[in-house]
Amino acid sequence: MHHHLIRLHTSFFANWRHLWSPELVALFLALFVFVLPAGASTRLEERSLLMQNNEPGATTSYRVSFKYMTPTPINSVDMLFCMSPIPYEACVPPPGLNVSGAVLSDQQGESGYSISTKTTNHIVLSRASNSLPTTALSSYNFENIKNPTASAQAFSVRLRTHTSSDATGTQVDFGSVRAQVNQGIVIQTQVPPMLVFCLAQQVDYGCTKTNDTFYTDMGELNSESTLTAKSQMAVGTNASGGFAITAVGIPFSAGTNVIDSPLVPTESKPGTNQFGINLVENTAPNVGNNPEGEYANAIASSDYNQQNKYKYVSGDVVAYSPNVSLMKKFTVSYILNSSPTLHAGVYSTTLTYIASGRF
Amino acid sequence: MKRLKSFALAALAVVVAVGVIAPSFGISNANAQSTGSAALSIVPKKNYVIEPGKSVSDTLIIRNLDASQDLNLSLRVVDFTFTDNGGTPKLFLDPSAPQTTWSLKPYLKLPKTVKIGPGSSKKVDMSVAIPANHGAGSYYSAIVYSTSAADGGNVGLSASGVTLVFTTIPGKVNEDLKLKKLGAYDTEAKGDLSGYKYISDKQPMSIGYTLQNNGNVTEAPAGSIKLKGWFGKSYNIDNVNPSGSLALIGQTRTYTACIKLATTDVSVGGSTATTNTCANPGLWPGHYKVSLDVFYGQNGNNTQEVTGTAAFWYLPLWFVVTFFVILLILALVIWRLVVKVRKAMYGPKYRKSSVNRRR
Repeated sequence: MHHHLIRLHTSFFANWRHLWSPELVALFLALFVFVLPAGASTRLEERSLLMQNNEPGATTSYRVSFKYMTPTPINSVDMLFCMSPIPYEACVPPPGLNVSGAVLSDQQGESGYSISTKTTNHIVLSRASNSLPTTALSSYNFENIKNPTASAQAFSVRLRTHTSSDATGTQVDFGSVRAQVNQGIVIQTQVPPMLVFCLAQQVDYGCTKTNDTFYTDMGELNSESTLTAKSQMAVGTNASGGFAITAVGIPFSAGTNVIDSPLVPTESKPGTNQFGINLVENTAPNVGNNPEGEYANAIASSDYNQQNKYKYVSGDVVAYSPNVSLMKKFTVSYILNSSPTLHAGVYSTTLTYIASGRF
Repeated sequence: MKRLKSFALAALAVVVAVGVIAPSFGISNANAQSTGSAALSIVPKKNYVIEPGKSVSDTLIIRNLDASQDLNLSLRVVDFTFTDNGGTPKLFLDPSAPQTTWSLKPYLKLPKTVKIGPGSSKKVDMSVAIPANHGAGSYYSAIVYSTSAADGGNVGLSASGVTLVFTTIPGKVNEDLKLKKLGAYDTEAKGDLSGYKYISDKQPMSIGYTLQNNGNVTEAPAGSIKLKGWFGKSYNIDNVNPSGSLALIGQTRTYTACIKLATTDVSVGGSTATTNTCANPGLWPGHYKVSLDVFYGQNGNNTQEVTGTAAFWYLPLWFVVTFFVILLILALVIWRLVVKVRKAMYGPKYRKSSVNRRR
């Protein structure tokens, strides 16, 4: 048995050069160099789409322009209108778009085409030509195209050129152009995006009621204890970009004397000059509530959602949602500490909470 | 009479003393006044396409959600830019802030104040007029609606809402997006580049890509991401920018796209909106290759493409431990097999002879 094994071992490892000569290996590798690029297509260059009117649902003209790249006679151009520009993805037609009534009204550069096929989202231009395409920019103008109705998302035209006159067989060049309809003026029948925001000492979860009190009195400063207060705000939006709430205002001050705020989340330290806020429930001192509302999209910013740690920097975003968010109620906790050497005076601040959409 | 005079002087002295000394013991406790409603609903974003020499008239719908108080708003236009790599606007609230090069301020007209009755809404007229011969590009500013601050207490609260106004002036523009980073992304990083993970023990839920906008227009890229794992398992993200988020002029913007998107219809303020969240994609541990293909381009301008590839490892702890245990077992089995084969080939004295050889 072991003689057989030795023979096998010898034939594989001692004499492999006879089986796989360096010349054979080189030839095998060289094959890849010639085989791989054979199926590759070139991208059409300087592709663009000009919509004369980009109102959703409007009937208008489109001008598609591009440069042919491969020096091969082209007899058809395939134009497929889809949401995604990626050629290998399934084509979802842009809602509302209709190119079935398109008329080819003008052609520049490579010309002689006529529309041979047209459906709701597909146009094929065909011709008979044996000449090589021009390297100049070619443009095709189509009248009577109905724009898509969805303004929230871009759509694309997937372009392919073929040597055949019916856009079949192997493609020569390809590429996509993209465009987007734009809702200039809000149509009154459509619910526009909205941002709902309220603020007071106490607010109702849905902003339907507040206690109409827009100040809070923290009492007398004492170097041995921490003064606390809280206010509430509720926010929600149906805008896809979400919202951000920014806190703006100078910290507690009396004339030129300012009670500084920590620049990073810090514990409350009685006996030092410190003003800070956060948006969660705290135990040291006992103040505040966690955000209320079932929806998880809207959250307090990371620097302001740490229990028993407070910070205040004017201009900071204290809460946000990256997306559509149901109503959420935030309770802002305020702490104020003072050192025994703090200058006497009437210390106060006004904080403005700015609710904005995101872009 | 003298007694009366001295009594009056004493009373005055007490009043002055109280006025001067009292604040040093604490914060004043002035009676605060309610200033009206601070509960409002506004439009968070407006988009316009306006040709040079033309104007657009529109209305801003503002709702007072407070059923008992008037909503008194002061309106002003401020410029804004980006806060970070995300979509939060940074407002230039200082009235002396210099005007940005993309400012809409000179062209946007709206009233300075608005009063809205309890529980009602108002349409506020606004217009954007672009002068003739104005250059193409993107222009944007923000409308800030402010309630007045309360006078009283020591923490005064004020609420503001913001509408972001974007205007595109069509024509030939300079568009230039550069891919800065691509890979698995932890969405808690809020656009920060530290959110990219090459090796992650937590299952990545989203893919991030960071684009730098060096052009003179805002861009909203569209396209897809392909994720390919070991054993050829692939995942396709066919909409990499479902919210149509913008990269502002000069901004380096991080976009995140859920590997598996979960959409839910929610009701906000009486209207239905679709919200997107990342669902568990069910990734297997291992190595993943990410391919990005996004398109951008304004109407009538060349459609441009950004492509990129990256990779990441998803290695949960249980997988690493299991892998090494299996590796150890495999090594043991191979070692025993090698010993067995060599024994079969060279006889039972193999061990002894190999020891002798080493000597």
